[in-house]
Amino acid sequence: MAAREGIYGLLAEFDTPGDLIRAALQARKDGWRRMDCYTPYPVEEAAEAIGFHRNKVPLITLIGGVMGLAAMFLFQVWVSVWAYPLNIGGRPLYSWPAFIVPAYEWTILFAGLSAAFGMLALNGLPALYHPLFNAPNFRDGATTDKFFLCLEALDPKFDLAEAKKYLVSFEPVSVVEVEY
Amino acid sequence: MAHETHDANTHTKQLPRELGAPEFVNGWQRSALVVGLVCMVVAAGLGFADGRGFDVDHVLRAWLLGLMLTFGFAVGGLALLMVQYVSGGKWGLLLRRPLEAMSRTLPLVFIYWLVIALSLKKLYLWAAVTDVSAALKSGWINEVQAHAIEFKRPMLNTGAFVWVSLACFAIWGFYTWRLNALSLKRDEETLATTPEWIKRMENISGPGIVIYAITMSAAAIYWVMSLDPTWYSSVYGLLFLVGQAYQVLAFSIIVVISLSKGEPFKTILRQTEQHDLGSFTFAFVMLNIYLAFSQFLIIWSGNLPEEIPWYLDRVTGGWGVIITLDFIFHWLIPFTLLLSRDLKRNKKRLVLVCQWMVFAKAFDLFWLIEPNFKDAARNLHFSWGILEYAAVPAAMTAFWVAYFCMQLKARPLVQTNDPHLAEILEAEHAHA
Repeated sequence: MAAREGIYGLLAEFDTPGDLIRAALQARKDGWRRMDCYTPYPVEEAAEAIGFHRNKVPLITLIGGVMGLAAMFLFQVWVSVWAYPLNIGGRPLYSWPAFIVPAYEWTILFAGLSAAFGMLALNGLPALYHPLFNAPNFRDGATTDKFFLCLEALDPKFDLAEAKKYLVSFEPVSVVEVEY
Repeated sequence: MAHETHDANTHTKQLPRELGAPEFVNGWQRSALVVGLVCMVVAAGLGFADGRGFDVDHVLRAWLLGLMLTFGFAVGGLALLMVQYVSGGKWGLLLRRPLEAMSRTLPLVFIYWLVIALSLKKLYLWAAVTDVSAALKSGWINEVQAHAIEFKRPMLNTGAFVWVSLACFAIWGFYTWRLNALSLKRDEETLATTPEWIKRMENISGPGIVIYAITMSAAAIYWVMSLDPTWYSSVYGLLFLVGQAYQVLAFSIIVVISLSKGEPFKTILRQTEQHDLGSFTFAFVMLNIYLAFSQFLIIWSGNLPEEIPWYLDRVTGGWGVIITLDFIFHWLIPFTLLLSRDLKRNKKRLVLVCQWMVFAKAFDLFWLIEPNFKDAARNLHFSWGILEYAAVPAAMTAFWVAYFCMQLKARPLVQTNDPHLAEILEAEHAHA
């Protein structure tokens, strides 16, 4: 991919999550799609406001969990019935109740790992570079006490002057241009 | 993805002036009474269905199931109320008054219990057998049973059964009265007194939970576990305790969502708290299977002659079908459905799952109770009597629901002297 140049987007800074969500809701309503919210702590409403859609993490988690369950259960069956059959107190070689606990643990383990790595695979983290960190107020505030809305230049509606006027209408603390 | 409109985002809702139970609770009460009467007639008819006189045995066994189910709602409701006072949280504002109403149904449960107490000899082997050696000689009981009955006589005798149960009822009655009375008094006072009240309720409820755990275990052991005098399990009380939370939460969700068709719950029930209650229920679905399976795994691994027959009675001879269904009904279905976030946020579907859970609880009790009896152990077979397990508990539960509705109407549905009231009236996006 060729190095991008020019404007990445316009970044509006807000003091409260309420202001951010009102702006984000309105922007989505007005047809903006390429935009994102940045908050110092999880604000679920912000994700909803910009039209957060479903992703495949739950499916990956489910598949991981089922794989863990099957792998551990079958592994125990293989060991106990074929590989190393032992007579334990006269119980049958295929003693499924005893296999449940490790199989359950592996279900949780695989589901958890799938959720974590599936999330990383789908959201593009870890990212070594992000243009927003070019904005000094973002660097200072995004992880402490500021709430940001970024309209990205990739949006077909994006026009620098118009978009700036649009963002200013939400009365943010500031609106800055962010370069790639 | 469809979104609700968020325009009303910043506005705080107003608590309606009228906080009493909505009109349609009367309708519930009437329908419950009708269902109860119909089931009672059916139960009576079934009693005579096999043409050998009235089948008292099965009616009493089914009665025990009905007792355990309604007892679970009443005393389990009291316990969850106490847990709520200790834990705090906004969900308490939704559940407190329904839980109080559930706890105040204790008198009806006591009447149900009286029927059992008056027919101990028909239900409990240890009560029926007075002369152990004669019973052993005649082949009525085997040596293991004879030994167990004799050895456990100091605990398993009519006097102990009655006195322990009466003491338990007195203790539950005391806590029910105390918490219900104070709750009304709390509402009469100003918001300035709230911190004091929170402390006060906490101080009553904390020890109350411990005492509940002990008394409830005693009741579960005497009323159900002792049906088989030879068997014991140290996790038995805990199994019933978790089971009560399971059924109480399911029932509370049904009540809260059904009430939200009218004021005041229409105003105070938010999706956030509904979701939380669904997740809370999910936790108990997990805990329930965890305990049930641990008990099975430990006894299966030990494979001791003192313990394993209890499971053999309930797994072999056709009962394998019932325990498999029990596993599916009681755990697999609620577990897989309650995993879904969408379902927990959907009123209609969440209510359906919760209704299913109440049924599953009754089904589980059937599996626990019926194989204790000689004619049914390791031998699942059809008889007209076995249908009593559907009719009698249905009638008892329906009458209980009618009584519950009566109690629900008795006081305002929302506690006003509560710090969470302001929060719950905020729009859904409280952080926004």
